[in-house]
Amino acid sequence: MDEKKGHYAKHSGPKAEKKKLKKVSDGSASNNPKAFAVASAGRMARQAMRTADISQKKLHVPMVDRTPDEAPPPVIVAVMGPPGTGKSTLIKSLVRRYSKYTISQITGPITVVAGKKRRITFLECPNDLSSMIDVAKIADLVLLLIDANFGFEMETMEFLNILAPHGMPRIMGVLTHLDLFKKTSTLREAKKRLKHRFWTELYQGAKLFYLSGVLNGRYPDREILNLSRFISVMKFRPLRWRNQHPYLLADRMEDLTLPVDIEQNPKVGRKITLYGYLHGTNLPKHDASVHIPGVGDFVTSDVSSLEDPCPPPDADKVRRRRLSEKQKLIYGPMADIGGILFDKDRVYIEVPTSNFSKDENSEAGFGERMVMQLQEAQQPLGVDGNSGLQLFSNSDAIDTVDRESSEIDNVGRKTRRQPTGLINQELIKEDEGAFDDSDVNSADENEDVDFTGKIGAINNEDESDNEEVAFADSDSDLGGQFDDEDSNLRWKEGLASKAALAYSQSGKRRRNIQKIFYDESLSPKDAYAEYKGESAKSSESDLVVSDDEEDFFKVSKVANESISSNHEKLMESESDRLSKKWENPQLLAQLKSRFITGSLLDSIEGQEEVSQDDEEGDFEDLEDEENSSDNEMEESSGSSVTAENEESADEVDFQTEREENARKKEELRLRFEEEDRGDPEKKDVDWYTEEKEKIARQLVINREAFEDMDPESRAEIEGYRAGTYVRIVINDVPFEFVEHFDSRYPVVVGGLLPNEQRYGLVQVRIKRHRWHKKILKTNDPLIFSMGWRRFQSIPVYSISDSRTRNRMLKYTPEHMHCFGTFYGPFVAPNSGFCAVQSVANSFAKAGSFRIAATGSVLNIDQSTDIVKKLKLTGVPYKIFKNTAFIKKMFSSPLEVAKFEGANIRTVSGIRGQVKKAVDQEHGHFRATFEDKILMSDIVFLRAWYPVQVRKFCTMVTNLLETDKTEWNGMRLTGEVRHELGLKTPLRPNSQYQEIVRPSRHFNPLKVPASLQAQLPFNSRQKALRPRSKPTYMQKRTVLLNAEERKVRDLLQKVMTLHTDKEAKRKAKKAAEHERYHKRMQKEEQAYIEKKREEKAEWFAQHGKRLRQDGNSSGSGKRSKN
Amino acid sequence: MSTGQLKRFKGCEYLTHRLVLATLSGTPIRVEGIYPDEADPGVKDYQVSFLRLLEKLTNGSVIEISYTGTSFIYRPGNIIGGRVVHDCPTTKGIGYFLEPILILCLFAKTPTSLTLTGVTSSNEDIGVDVLRTSVLPSLQKRFQVGDELELRILKRGSAPGGGGEVNFLCPVIKESLPPIRLSEFGRVFRIRGIASSTRVSPAFANRLVESARGVLNPFIPDVFIYTDVRRGDECGNSPGYSITLVAETNKGCSYAAEHCGEAGETPEDVGSFCAKKLLEVIESGGCVDPYTQPSTLTGMLLSSEDVNTIVVGQLGITSQLVVFLRDVKALFNCEYRFKELESGQVEMSCLGKGYLNVNRRIQ
Repeated sequence: MDEKKGHYAKHSGPKAEKKKLKKVSDGSASNNPKAFAVASAGRMARQAMRTADISQKKLHVPMVDRTPDEAPPPVIVAVMGPPGTGKSTLIKSLVRRYSKYTISQITGPITVVAGKKRRITFLECPNDLSSMIDVAKIADLVLLLIDANFGFEMETMEFLNILAPHGMPRIMGVLTHLDLFKKTSTLREAKKRLKHRFWTELYQGAKLFYLSGVLNGRYPDREILNLSRFISVMKFRPLRWRNQHPYLLADRMEDLTLPVDIEQNPKVGRKITLYGYLHGTNLPKHDASVHIPGVGDFVTSDVSSLEDPCPPPDADKVRRRRLSEKQKLIYGPMADIGGILFDKDRVYIEVPTSNFSKDENSEAGFGERMVMQLQEAQQPLGVDGNSGLQLFSNSDAIDTVDRESSEIDNVGRKTRRQPTGLINQELIKEDEGAFDDSDVNSADENEDVDFTGKIGAINNEDESDNEEVAFADSDSDLGGQFDDEDSNLRWKEGLASKAALAYSQSGKRRRNIQKIFYDESLSPKDAYAEYKGESAKSSESDLVVSDDEEDFFKVSKVANESISSNHEKLMESESDRLSKKWENPQLLAQLKSRFITGSLLDSIEGQEEVSQDDEEGDFEDLEDEENSSDNEMEESSGSSVTAENEESADEVDFQTEREENARKKEELRLRFEEEDRGDPEKKDVDWYTEEKEKIARQLVINREAFEDMDPESRAEIEGYRAGTYVRIVINDVPFEFVEHFDSRYPVVVGGLLPNEQRYGLVQVRIKRHRWHKKILKTNDPLIFSMGWRRFQSIPVYSISDSRTRNRMLKYTPEHMHCFGTFYGPFVAPNSGFCAVQSVANSFAKAGSFRIAATGSVLNIDQSTDIVKKLKLTGVPYKIFKNTAFIKKMFSSPLEVAKFEGANIRTVSGIRGQVKKAVDQEHGHFRATFEDKILMSDIVFLRAWYPVQVRKFCTMVTNLLETDKTEWNGMRLTGEVRHELGLKTPLRPNSQYQEIVRPSRHFNPLKVPASLQAQLPFNSRQKALRPRSKPTYMQKRTVLLNAEERKVRDLLQKVMTLHTDKEAKRKAKKAAEHERYHKRMQKEEQAYIEKKREEKAEWFAQHGKRLRQDGNSSGSGKRSKN
Repeated sequence: MSTGQLKRFKGCEYLTHRLVLATLSGTPIRVEGIYPDEADPGVKDYQVSFLRLLEKLTNGSVIEISYTGTSFIYRPGNIIGGRVVHDCPTTKGIGYFLEPILILCLFAKTPTSLTLTGVTSSNEDIGVDVLRTSVLPSLQKRFQVGDELELRILKRGSAPGGGGEVNFLCPVIKESLPPIRLSEFGRVFRIRGIASSTRVSPAFANRLVESARGVLNPFIPDVFIYTDVRRGDECGNSPGYSITLVAETNKGCSYAAEHCGEAGETPEDVGSFCAKKLLEVIESGGCVDPYTQPSTLTGMLLSSEDVNTIVVGQLGITSQLVVFLRDVKALFNCEYRFKELESGQVEMSCLGKGYLNVNRRIQ
């Protein structure tokens, strides 16, 4: 609908002129100055305070972010939700949004390119507890799916409570199944309710997305686009645990075990390789200690870096604003990528993969040429198999093969394969395997080159030259072949050769020092001698006189500890050496420059004179320096000598004076520069900015420190940095891991620090989760998730009794923290953990919350001080004034001897002490008390008994099971008793019974008459004599007159009637109440029965929805009550 | 459960630092080939004493020495620190026991108060004066340890009788050591020293000072050497005298030299010899002297995951350094990187392991 054009505004005429005047007058500040002033000083101050508060609130504690900026690792986005909420559908939609690929089923991580510098790895989290725990430790962003028709489920709450103690990454909620609502008002109400509940669990304003129905197997494109934009702009803050440890999420696993070994023993430990992007800190190249949750602890035998399978766009094309279609990549070897015909591809993929794997293993082990011929023979078969694939997949395959071929040719160790037009992805895997082998070969080649470096300096140089020439020849040959294929690759080859030539000279010396010191075949003394030999030659090139050379050789002598006579001779020779050394005037002059009293210019001129070999001049200058320690005196004496020796013209004097002044100025300038005056550019910034700048400066230093080294040597020293795609080789992995491998369950490789490879007693602060239905029992097994590990251990709960002793508790308190101590692997204090009683799905009852406890680590040690109270009781059998003989407390004199001097007391509070045993057979002993005790008193001794923690710890190895969700460890005490039909042990003495105490009759207190007389009057007993006459009240008699007698009789009759009436009424009311009670019981029974039927029906539908896991469009669901 | 595998080592050179590295990394080690060919084979008394000292400072350590004494197994426990008293044998100086423990006590559970008795000065081991005036200030300055790091010399004891006593106080660090970056060693601007004597004439100390100043004063006038003459109960069981010299540069580095008098030497010889040794250390250059180098290299290894750089003089490159580097690689899987400078020094760089003080107690 077109808009109607309005009239043109008038710019002339009386009305226009009037408006102009009005505008001018309105805009003038002089007319109303109050409008342009501040409202009030108080308001301005409050505004400034509010601005400062807001800026301060945004600050965080500065933490070093060790994720590299130029090539960060992919962001791990975990999609988590209960079954049937749409996890696979969401991942399919997002992958299609980023890469235009349509995937059918998701069985592993999928990596896509999301921007110029960002890549994303999508990971679907299975619904068992072990996988949820593992994903919580590595996910950078969690997409939490909630079925809007059903509401929050137990898995959602459990996952949130697993995330909290492991670092709490960024979370975005996603509501699905919104198309099942019939009414708009119901939909709006459900959204509001779920949003507020979500905010209650996380924080106010947490992101919650709404996805409407499924269209063509995906969510609507507009909504997915919005979600992907939020993912792209998400900022991730470093989490503490991940900032200290290297870790990776494995996206590929290969078995390299020799088939011969498998045939001999099918249960042999397997040799596997795991591939993935590295996260966190640096991973060492050799012998890195890692833990694979679900499998166990291992030491890597080799780590190497591979070409990035999913690289970000090239830096040359940064100016492009958008990614073109060709640069969008996808990588997911464990997932089903590129499959079109399900049955055909599955059948095809299975058979060639096993063949290639066996061939690869054979080649790696034996290196037979016959196998290579077999590989060549199978290439035509692969070509035939590709005829059914799409053209788009073909083009990708061709690009990948080209890169692999270039890398293989770059090594120059193997015969280059001829690229063909149609190659399947399985061949890509084979090429990657071959590349791994070539890596090993290249490592061997480097070792050979290093070995030649030990022979000698001259021979070493010749060998290095020969190696360089050979390398250059091979490069030129390869470059010639690449002319026909790709000019870019040839240009890159030129760069590689140029870089190799540039670094070879300096790298040779660096490698030599490394190899000399770290070569185990040389003893330390031989390595030191070899280093000294080379150092002497390098020093010779610096024009050092022969005296220095002799001194350097003498320094290298090492005294022998066991022979003292040699020590004395060495001291004498040392003394002589030093005396001779420091008698040399030249050395003294050079050493002068190392003191602030020395001249910075003299050292420069001294070197020049040395190069000139003018002996007379040296002698003259050094003698002058020796005589005077001050610079001015030296100058004055020099000038005086000059004045005496030379009679020159004014011009010569002027030039000499000018040179002297210039020399003084230069000296002062050098001294000024040498002083450390700090950084003049440093401004007065606040602490936060200063800390941030310090961290940034350190990161730059870290990046540039090893840049002049080649990648191989750099990996030896600093390991592999985050963002690198690495290949990890691990030996002796249990065979079940390979036999029962399922790529849908995440495989995490976490690096261990040196302290985390030991076991001991871990003390934690622990609290039963408020939603867990039972309290926890001491000495019941519990599965902890702490650090990278998941293990089962037996904790002992305790509490601090007046902060001096740790008393054992039988159960955890309901709403309070207590201490727990168990045997397990060490982890740094202040680390969080969560605990569950079982990870098996069959253990979980419907509607029960499985997270048993959460807390943090307080202390690690090898011993503990948990105690519990022990009371020993005895009874006296002979009593004197302050002494009593006690029996039935100890059973032997040895026990009495141990407790001599111990404090005892009676139940009534009389304190005493154990003295000594009285006989040799029983444990009777003599004790003294502060007062006389009675025969009926019970004497007890309070002692504290140390509690030992059971050293039991077993790892949760669910990835070795056929069914990954059914790992069973040690059972709970209650389960064992229930299965064996045992009752809970209950001692009769622990039961509370009716306390029957016989009444005691004490003798009357008699005070002697003499003592009575000495007491003050107030304290005396006052015994009155009985009266001989009755009192007046007893004597008098009340006589009632006729009127009073009549009234009393009437009242008695009325009360009798009233009592009888009340008794009848009460009996009737009791009968009515009994009938009412029976009727209420019947109604209650009917209500319970009806409730049970409703619940059974509700869970029947719930179970029905569980069976529709694959089908995301269920119907007939009802809202949660 | 699987504890770490036993690392095997041969020979007993630099044994104390190897044991300290094993304790820090928690790796059980087995050392073989300890003096197998000598007339008196097996571990020496000072080596057993050092193992006992480690046992006192830790909780849960296990030491198994073989029957012949030529090999032993050491399984380290947790470093707890605390109040420890240890009697060192007189065959080695106190510095032999104290110098490796400087870095170890920083990662203890509670602050350490360690009292050692024995020989305070000897020519074979680092002296307590060098530790107090050169090594500890360097560690405090570079790794930002608090002011509680202190070494008090309560008594002085000379070889061979001993009788000296020192008290070492060490705080614990909360997280990890900061990285260091030392590339300039500057020029010497002052020299300090201590001349001490026990059970000899006080004039011996003055004669030491006189001869040392005679060598050093032509280079710099700011030379002050204090005298410490111990009498009565504070001077141990044997007569002796020693001198310690420390040179400081304007870039915060320090060089130390020391010497003890022996039979056949006059105080003038001892003083001038020590001064010449100091001149040699100054000429060698570097940011650390040979006494401070092991502690500094260990601190660099344990610092946060950043690059540490230090320049080491030629005197610091010894066979002990080679043994140390190989032990570090075996126990911590870390290699140092070397770069030779034109002035003759060597620049060593390594990436810190981010070692945390896991032994500390929360609250």
